[in-house]
Amino acid sequence: MPAPPPAAVSVRGLAKRYGPVEAVRGVSFDVAAGEIFGLLGPNGAGKTTTLECILGLRRPDAGTIALAGVDALAQPDRAKERVGAQLQDAALQDQITPRQALRLFAGFYRAPAGVDELIDRFALAARADAPFAALSSGQRRRLFLALAFVNRPQVVVLDEPTAGLDPQARRRLHQIIAGGRAAGQTVLLSTHDLGEARALCDRIGILDGGRLIAVARPADLVAGGSARPRIAVRTAPPLTAAQVAALPGVVDPRPHEDGWLLGTADASRTIAGLARLLEAGAHALVDLQIERPSLEDVYLELTGRAWAAPEPEDE
Amino acid sequence: MDTRLLLPAVLRYCLLTLRLNFRSRQALAYGYLMPVFFLLAFASVFRSDTPLLLPQMGQILAITILGGACFGLPTAMVAERERGVWRRYRLLPVGTGALVAGALAVRVVIIAGAVALQVLLARLIYGTPFPLHPVQAAGAFLLVTASFLGLGLLVAALADDVPAVQGLGQCLFLPMILIGGVGVPLAALPLWAQRIAGFMPGRYAVDVLQRCFNDSRGLAGAGFGLAALVVIGAAAGLAGAALLRWDAGRRLGRSGRTGLAAALGSWLAVGVAAALTGHLQPVLPYDTAYEDITEAQIAAITYDGLPGDNELVTRLAPPFPNGRAPATLAEFVYRIRDWPPGDLDDPGQSVRNLLSAAGIADLRADPREAEIARAIFDELQRRYPPGQLRRILAWIILRPDDGTALGYAPELGLPLHAPVRLVRERSVLYAQKFLGRLLGKIRDP
Repeated sequence: MPAPPPAAVSVRGLAKRYGPVEAVRGVSFDVAAGEIFGLLGPNGAGKTTTLECILGLRRPDAGTIALAGVDALAQPDRAKERVGAQLQDAALQDQITPRQALRLFAGFYRAPAGVDELIDRFALAARADAPFAALSSGQRRRLFLALAFVNRPQVVVLDEPTAGLDPQARRRLHQIIAGGRAAGQTVLLSTHDLGEARALCDRIGILDGGRLIAVARPADLVAGGSARPRIAVRTAPPLTAAQVAALPGVVDPRPHEDGWLLGTADASRTIAGLARLLEAGAHALVDLQIERPSLEDVYLELTGRAWAAPEPEDE
Repeated sequence: MDTRLLLPAVLRYCLLTLRLNFRSRQALAYGYLMPVFFLLAFASVFRSDTPLLLPQMGQILAITILGGACFGLPTAMVAERERGVWRRYRLLPVGTGALVAGALAVRVVIIAGAVALQVLLARLIYGTPFPLHPVQAAGAFLLVTASFLGLGLLVAALADDVPAVQGLGQCLFLPMILIGGVGVPLAALPLWAQRIAGFMPGRYAVDVLQRCFNDSRGLAGAGFGLAALVVIGAAAGLAGAALLRWDAGRRLGRSGRTGLAAALGSWLAVGVAAALTGHLQPVLPYDTAYEDITEAQIAAITYDGLPGDNELVTRLAPPFPNGRAPATLAEFVYRIRDWPPGDLDDPGQSVRNLLSAAGIADLRADPREAEIARAIFDELQRRYPPGQLRRILAWIILRPDDGTALGYAPELGLPLHAPVRLVRERSVLYAQKFLGRLLGKIRDP
């Protein structure tokens, strides 16, 4: 059996403490070449600290980090040659233009991408010579993404790349990130957005309280969770509590919008029982919806906290 | 990072930073309009000087350098840090030291532009001469700028945000302007303030810059001031480099206070060294006559570092037995009593001339040089009351460049020429030796 290809990102036993606060506690994970890996977690979970340690912005208290086969702690500059990054809360000088910024940053790498190519790829052509202060938040975000790709990186690290963007701008950035994967780049991103994680990531790691509590493909996370499908049903006249309780597989039935919300341990059997009840003719079906468990449910199950969705900003 | 890649990249960074600076109206106003304003303000205050502004150019340029280095540099760096620009730079495969060096180099160019503008405008508007020693002036500018940029780097490291830069910058700027000899001329300050100014780099910056404009000796004799600027700038610069933060969220704790203490420690060391080596002499207003010298000014004169009486320079014989000069000196003593240059209507200049005679004998290595100096000291005491002689000697010490010095005195048997600049220096040393004896601060064997 051939040996698996070396991981593009390999983090082992990463730990970082700020005074009494343990921000990251023994985090370990690998990201394969060409994979998009998402770090999920609420504010304070340790996502940004983990990424900052990987990028050399903070020195970890313990652990090892290898990026594209380079020990990032022993040879940070060599590792930075191979990594592109986009940070949260970054800005440039008010007067600098996207073209100037790209030229400036490209100058520090051996084989940079072409500035015009990046301007086209990140849809900055119309504003390439506008001062940074005059760019919208979406344009700024695209500029920072372009800067992350300026060195043709093997690994791209993105910290909340679409936070605060409207849905259209977010979709555009998703296309760009997915395009990076198609070009063979490895992407490690942190996100607040479960939809983004589902849509983009090959695998997800959930961080909570500085620990990595789960790593899996999004579908496997959902399938492996103990959260149950839910069936929302409305009939005329409404089903009684006794009828609902007698349906096979039903767990925790609750009244819901003139009908019932039924948790079920076996959706097939519950729906079959419901069909038999309707066939009896005493009740007419008004509405029926089946809700599968979501990442939000998995997150709630793993962390004990409901997911808080981020607020969008204007493009 | 490969040097062949690094140098062009840092150069591109410098050029772009310069370009962005010239696009900022605020930076232009602060960097260029304010220096012009200071130039005009000085010209209106010191309008009676001829040529106008020449004695103040050291101050004017020092203010510009101080402002550019201690406000301009840290304001730009801290503003960029707050925005996350330096955080982004940290992701580059290059040590951020190279970019800091680039930022410092850019600031030198910006300040140089402002200084050149001032020198040019002073020349065009007021006819102020260009520096007498242009090469030395360039060197002095670079040293003063480097020293103040060290302070600016420390301010950038210590300040959490831009308002804090203003606060810390004012803590440096205002004392140096008001009592540090930068804004208010040293000669106009009371003695206590002049002494405090000796602990601040501004005094030395003004001195070395001014010497390049109108002192025939240029930077010769400015070794202490140059060294003081190196020490203060290096201490602040090293502390600033060690404490510099890339991340606006990171706060300095005890390390910040340690860095500040190290930097201020260098000011203290320079001030103490200045006091111990006689570099804190009172400075008098330009037109001070010896009659204006006060007892406090006389008392503030120090006598450290004077050459010994038996050393090569400024030899001085012990008091003559019974107060009578030896026979070999009889003719000299006789001639000096009627020597016209020593008996002018102006007692101050007369004493300068008599001291010049001692200086000439010293410089020409006359076999009787030590005895000649003693005979002149005795003659001075015979001729002038103690109070008047003290004032005249103090005036010569405190205003060494006033009056004239002689290069030879054939009437006294000293026909060989000696360099007037050196005679003037030796005269001052003899004045110190004589005044120290008059005050009992130096004792004869």
